[in-house]
Amino acid sequence: MKAASTRLAALALSRDKADTMLLLVSALLVLAPHAAHLPLWVSLLCGATLLWRALITLRGRRMPPATVLLPIAAGAMIGVQFSYDTLIGKDAGVAMLVLLVAFKMLEMHARRDLYIVIFLCFFLVLTNFFYAQGIGTAVMMVASILLLLTTQLSFGFTGALPPLRARLGMAARMLVFAAPLAVLLFVVFPRIQGPLWGMPGGSGSGKSGLSDQMAPGQMSNLALSDEPAFRARFFGRAPEKAQLYWRGPVLDAFDGLTWRRGQGRVSGRNLHLAVGEPAHDYEVTLEPSQSRWVFTLEMAGELPEVPGHQVRLSSQFELTADAPLDARLRYRASSHTDYALQRGEQLEGVERWLLLPYGFNPRALAEGRELRRLADPAARVEAVLQRFREQPFSYTLEPPLLGRNTIDEFLYGARAGFCEHYSGAFVFLMRAAGVPARVVTGYQGGDINPIDGFMTVRQSDAHAWAEVWLAGRGWLRVDPTAAVAPERVQRGLGASVPRPAPFGIDALRGMNPFGGEGNAWLARLRDAVNAGNNGWNQWVLNYTPERQRGVVQSLQQKLLGWPFVVMLSVAGAMLLLLRFLRRRRETDPVDALYLALCKRLGQAGMARSLDESPSAYAARLSAGADGAALKLAPQARAAALDFLRRYSAWRYAPPRHDAGQHRHLTATLKSLLSQVR
Amino acid sequence: MAHGFRGWVRRSTGAWLPRAGTHDSGEIEIKSRRVFILPTRAGLGFAALLLVLLIGSVNYSLGLGFGLTFLALSCALVDMVATYRNLAHLRLQQGRAAPVFAGQEAQFELLLSNRTRLARYAVWADFSDVREARHVADVAPGAQTTLALSVPTTGRGWLAPARVRLSTRFPLGLFLAWTYWRPAARALVYPRPEDGAPALPLAGGAGNNPRRGGNDDFAGIRNYQAGDSPRQMAWRQIARLDPDIGGQLVTKHFEGTGGDHLLLDFDALPAWIDLELRLARMTRWVLEAEARALPYGFRLGAVQYDAANGAAHQAACLRALALYGMREAA
Repeated sequence: MKAASTRLAALALSRDKADTMLLLVSALLVLAPHAAHLPLWVSLLCGATLLWRALITLRGRRMPPATVLLPIAAGAMIGVQFSYDTLIGKDAGVAMLVLLVAFKMLEMHARRDLYIVIFLCFFLVLTNFFYAQGIGTAVMMVASILLLLTTQLSFGFTGALPPLRARLGMAARMLVFAAPLAVLLFVVFPRIQGPLWGMPGGSGSGKSGLSDQMAPGQMSNLALSDEPAFRARFFGRAPEKAQLYWRGPVLDAFDGLTWRRGQGRVSGRNLHLAVGEPAHDYEVTLEPSQSRWVFTLEMAGELPEVPGHQVRLSSQFELTADAPLDARLRYRASSHTDYALQRGEQLEGVERWLLLPYGFNPRALAEGRELRRLADPAARVEAVLQRFREQPFSYTLEPPLLGRNTIDEFLYGARAGFCEHYSGAFVFLMRAAGVPARVVTGYQGGDINPIDGFMTVRQSDAHAWAEVWLAGRGWLRVDPTAAVAPERVQRGLGASVPRPAPFGIDALRGMNPFGGEGNAWLARLRDAVNAGNNGWNQWVLNYTPERQRGVVQSLQQKLLGWPFVVMLSVAGAMLLLLRFLRRRRETDPVDALYLALCKRLGQAGMARSLDESPSAYAARLSAGADGAALKLAPQARAAALDFLRRYSAWRYAPPRHDAGQHRHLTATLKSLLSQVR
Repeated sequence: MAHGFRGWVRRSTGAWLPRAGTHDSGEIEIKSRRVFILPTRAGLGFAALLLVLLIGSVNYSLGLGFGLTFLALSCALVDMVATYRNLAHLRLQQGRAAPVFAGQEAQFELLLSNRTRLARYAVWADFSDVREARHVADVAPGAQTTLALSVPTTGRGWLAPARVRLSTRFPLGLFLAWTYWRPAARALVYPRPEDGAPALPLAGGAGNNPRRGGNDDFAGIRNYQAGDSPRQMAWRQIARLDPDIGGQLVTKHFEGTGGDHLLLDFDALPAWIDLELRLARMTRWVLEAEARALPYGFRLGAVQYDAANGAAHQAACLRALALYGMREAA
């Protein structure tokens, strides 16, 4: 007895060990993605803690006492305070939670602690979404849940523990059953537009994309980023690439080095905009940028409606939201590529667009003044563009560094630059020549993905161009970069500036969004991946209350139609049938055969009475008590008796779990039953 | 709070359940409607977790967070169904309940059989008045498991056990499903044998002589029992049987003739002794006479058995003792 109980204890211990190791592995899987954003020391401390716990488990050591754990935990808290300058807030909170889970592993005593660890792990899966929400993260999430369920399930067994693979299968089956319900809830569960309270601590997540100012070198930094700025879907034909100017900040103040947005912006509600047909309708899905810019194609006929935000139009025809855009947003807009802005004979406050800083770029200033000899302002514009085209200007991502008089050095020295150089120099010359001008920044171009029809506009499409005001024609867009490198505008950055292929492998050039000519199928693969990502963004990450309303409405229309009702009834009937069949299967086949025999004997004139056991029935049958009525051949009677004898022996024997024997008996009884005629 | 609520549910479901089917005789199947289910404390914790996940997803507009929340919620619902299915459609059958002496634990056998194709794990079973269930079993598809549920006994007579409560939290422990079953089995509880009872009333029931009655007629041999005189040992037989190969010490057995029978007569006991004590003494004597293989007659009120020996005789006598004066003598 004693030996048996100690063996049992050893078995239970090893079982405990296996369960704990499983818990450690699932915690590791949950914690690992956090390493990407946590300070290194937190990741290392967590790894060490989990390792420590694993060693304790494997060697059967004792857990460390609180006097050891508490100082470590306190030290970790101080460390978090040092790393984040706070203990609350999003990032610091996540770091604390990660450490809590790791330390809790060393302080697990009761079953309740197990649930606490697993629930915390679930929460940590969520916090990881602050940092990444891609398809890969989703796959990781499902894997984590699978492992967490397996762990939780393993602790539920009281008897023999099935092998890990069987338990994983059980958890996977639960997930498979849960998935359709989860999808349904995802689609129809009423969504509320967050945030419920002020977004706590958006710290660290800096602005991305275009800034409100432009100095040489800024745009070319952006040009290296493949990150999408936004995606657009046109409801009709998309405009030609050369027409794809997505308007952003307008920079009108120049201090000699940097172009900025000048003071004194007023509402542009009264700006006169004349538009021609056709209008392009499209929907923009804007990536979170932490800035306020709402990009539309030049020129938007009306203010787009951005969910959760008020959109304002400035006197420079810029569209801004009332708060930084920290979530992916979708809005519809309508634009006219044929337009005239402020087409009058007079421009109010025209001095503003003629201002130049004193004491900078004397040569350019002189050249601009020189242009004033041309009476027609349009001719002055053309003259400068002519100069860009004919003189050896080049377009490069790596312009030489410029000194104090940036424009002079660019125009008369380096003659190599990026769009910010050209637009800046152009506007400078125009103002010197007495033509009102301003720099417009935004994005130019966009690639249409042939798979889902979405146009992706990337940070690398960031661009700067110019606007000049001509009496009677209004503000005209002039792109001096196009004069130097027309392919930049017609085909995009990749065509004008060659970029290295990934890993230096030329065949992979197609992987690169600007790779130009590469392997065709790699390009297709890239398109497919992009389309997948976009679909993910559109339908999973940005499933907003508005989109939900649309989906639910279309679902309602579909569900109330008769084809669906018919389908539903058929499915219901199938289910009932299945249930019926299953119930039949649930009766033991041997019992079913017995009932069939009783029925057959009943037809022959000797029904079993309800309280009769098989042996009593057999006795009555062999005695032939109501013999006269029995219409049964002697052979059949013998078969029936044999049947009852075997059945009785099986039914009242001590229970055995021998499937082979059971099958054999079933076959025998079946053949006997067939003899009872 | 959870406990109070659960206790209330337990009581209230218990109150109306027996009316649905008082005694379940033979094999019964646990019907779906008789399975109750409620979240456990861990389940309430999980609900709180889901709420936190949902709020986090809304506040930070985490599309994938909604996915996680709803997947976790669905898993909990699947767990609820799985917990319910872990119990429903099991078949229960009462096994034997062997008679015991008062003070011993009566064992009620409970046969769990699983005729479905779903393996059942961690099904706890015990009487509903026991706070923490003590027995747990797994039942593979098509298999049967026997559990022996024990009840402490105090008095003699028929013991009808409380309802059996079967419960399970498998697989995730977020829900507790339970059902009640009232088995028809009852166990017979014999009186507790008196400790330090007077010796058997040999020689007509009045004698206090512990020696065998009558040395005259050799009636055979029987196994040696402590206290047998060496003079009565059947040395010749003992010599023939080697103890190493299973031989035992045997004693010659003599019987007196005529009225020298051992008669255990209840009425012969002084009436001033407490009834239960008298019964206890009778019980002890029955056991002792049986152990010494003395044929004994038995008289208790209207019950009268001729002198005999053996398990059946003993069982009849003990049964009569157990049920003496009980209304439900059957």
